Amino acid sequence: MQAGGIKLTLGVYIALFLTFLYAPLMVLAILSFQIGPEGGPQFPIIEWSTYWYQHLFGLTPPSRIAPLPIKEALFRSLALAIMTMIVSTVLGVSAAQAFRKRFRGQNFVFYLIVLGMMVPGVLVGLGMALVSNELGVARHWWGTAFVLHVVYTFPFAFLVMLAIFNRFDQSVEEAAWSLGVSPARTFRKVTFPLIFPGVLSAMLFAFTLSYDEFSRTLFASGRDLTLPLAIYGTFSVEVHPNVFAFGVLTTLFSFALLSVYAILMMLSMRRAKRIAIQEEA
Amino acid sequence: MSTVLSLAGVRKTYGDLNALDGIDLSLPDDSYVSLLGPSGSGKTTLLRVIAGFETPEAGTVSFKGERVETVPPHLRDIGFVFQNFALFPHLSVEKNIAFGLENRVENPITDASVVKTKVRDIIGLVGLAGLEDRAVTQISGGQKQRVALARTLVTEPSLVLLDEPLGALDANLRTRMLTELRRIRQRCGVTFLHVTGSETEALAMGDTVLVLDQGRIAQAADADTIYNEPKSVAVARFLNCYNLFSGAPSDGRFAGPDGQFPLGAEKRFSSAVPGYAIRYDRVGIRPLDAPVAADEVSLPATFVADEYSGPAVNSFFQLENGRVVEVETHLSVAPAPRCKPHARYALVWKQNDALVYA
Repeated sequence: MQAGGIKLTLGVYIALFLTFLYAPLMVLAILSFQIGPEGGPQFPIIEWSTYWYQHLFGLTPPSRIAPLPIKEALFRSLALAIMTMIVSTVLGVSAAQAFRKRFRGQNFVFYLIVLGMMVPGVLVGLGMALVSNELGVARHWWGTAFVLHVVYTFPFAFLVMLAIFNRFDQSVEEAAWSLGVSPARTFRKVTFPLIFPGVLSAMLFAFTLSYDEFSRTLFASGRDLTLPLAIYGTFSVEVHPNVFAFGVLTTLFSFALLSVYAILMMLSMRRAKRIAIQEEA
Repeated sequence: MSTVLSLAGVRKTYGDLNALDGIDLSLPDDSYVSLLGPSGSGKTTLLRVIAGFETPEAGTVSFKGERVETVPPHLRDIGFVFQNFALFPHLSVEKNIAFGLENRVENPITDASVVKTKVRDIIGLVGLAGLEDRAVTQISGGQKQRVALARTLVTEPSLVLLDEPLGALDANLRTRMLTELRRIRQRCGVTFLHVTGSETEALAMGDTVLVLDQGRIAQAADADTIYNEPKSVAVARFLNCYNLFSGAPSDGRFAGPDGQFPLGAEKRFSSAVPGYAIRYDRVGIRPLDAPVAADEVSLPATFVADEYSGPAVNSFFQLENGRVVEVETHLSVAPAPRCKPHARYALVWKQNDALVYA
């Protein structure tokens, strides 16, 4: 009886959680199919159409609503996210590798690194702006903002890799050394393939965090805007459903990536299972 | 026989713990050496120092005549077989075995056909034919053991360290691998240093048996000597087949809390810790009133229980002070004792079967 009550409570809790997670997304998705250009970002749907999707790609006749100024911002954000991902992952893997051995001041260095994701973004962004002004360094998305993105995402990559190394069995490396293989080659041939799933996760973290970053970029990116800034900029004038259409497309893109990942995982699992069955037969 | 490895005064501490407290040993070329030590005796640390995974704080390690304390593991030419096998999980059986040949710093083999031949030979030697393309996560424990061994042997090291190599296998497989290991070693002609916590394994395997106690080599001898003439109380205890009594010899008898044993023609060993040892299977069980010869020792005790193991029966007796004494009766030479529970008997042994440490 009591167990039933707990189950019910938990069920309701999960239902609420999922609702709050997905309801905003659903609303945006539905509104993106509003008729254009006269239809606005609110219910009811006057008429279903794909107008705003065509509008995004410049396929609609010119109207009073300007196309989203996001093409270059999208490119900048992707480039910035990829740069950040590479640098942060390399730093994260090397730092976590260094942390496998105890060294003097280890705890201090740990907190110093992790601080990068703790401090408020607005403060760091503002600080960077002041420092660069003081030093006469021009602010750019590929310069000052890039540095801040690395400072922000490196701790995440570092923590992911730390967890991976924590479960890593060091004896496989020692086995390779005892076979006469140098530590550098052992890392490349044994360690890295084994930690690769972790490296992928670290890359994913760094990429998404950077791609989304707003507060640090706001002050540090200078004249050229990244995608979150550009989208925010369009809000300050007037919101049209073309932003929603864009949101739906990027979400679909993410889902596509995740699906590829899931399918690959499933295939490898199935293969392992098949071999196991052959063994028993 | 020349020496392949020798250690002198090797020390290693972990915090307050003296893991290795002045190790001196030398291993002959082309032989099977087993190292017996209870858990915590420093045996894994010793192997790790020899392999180069740990640096000793003091002492010298000489391998093939050269000092190697500071030489990194990949330049030492010493193979290591791990207790958990430590196979490369992302590589197939064949790739695991070929890994060292293809990737080593010194004299790597780039010719794929040469690698293939060597791998095929070693796979035949350890008995893994037909499993070349299997993932190492999809083979049994015994097969993993063979892959680990083959992977090391194919690189032809001058010394192979085996860290409790059979610990992860079930009892049946263990006995079979013991014979296999000896056969494979003889074919390869290298020295094996086999570390184990099992006294039967150590005695069965070693041409030479080293006994490690509290970070020191307590005894180094052939299996027969170790078994029949353990040099100290500690070694006798590890062998798990001696009744050990504390006390000290005085006035022609060995006196201790468990009784007084008249001394005669025992084997004597000088040892820091005094003691009196009599092997389980050297003790006879007689009625209390049976006569005792002049060269025999008799100890009254109460029968508690016995354990039948097939070829032998182990009987447990309790002394007045609660101390338990074990007697092993081999059924091929004597009938089963069939003692009555709670009845008193005389435990009798010959003086010259006992060992006295003083």
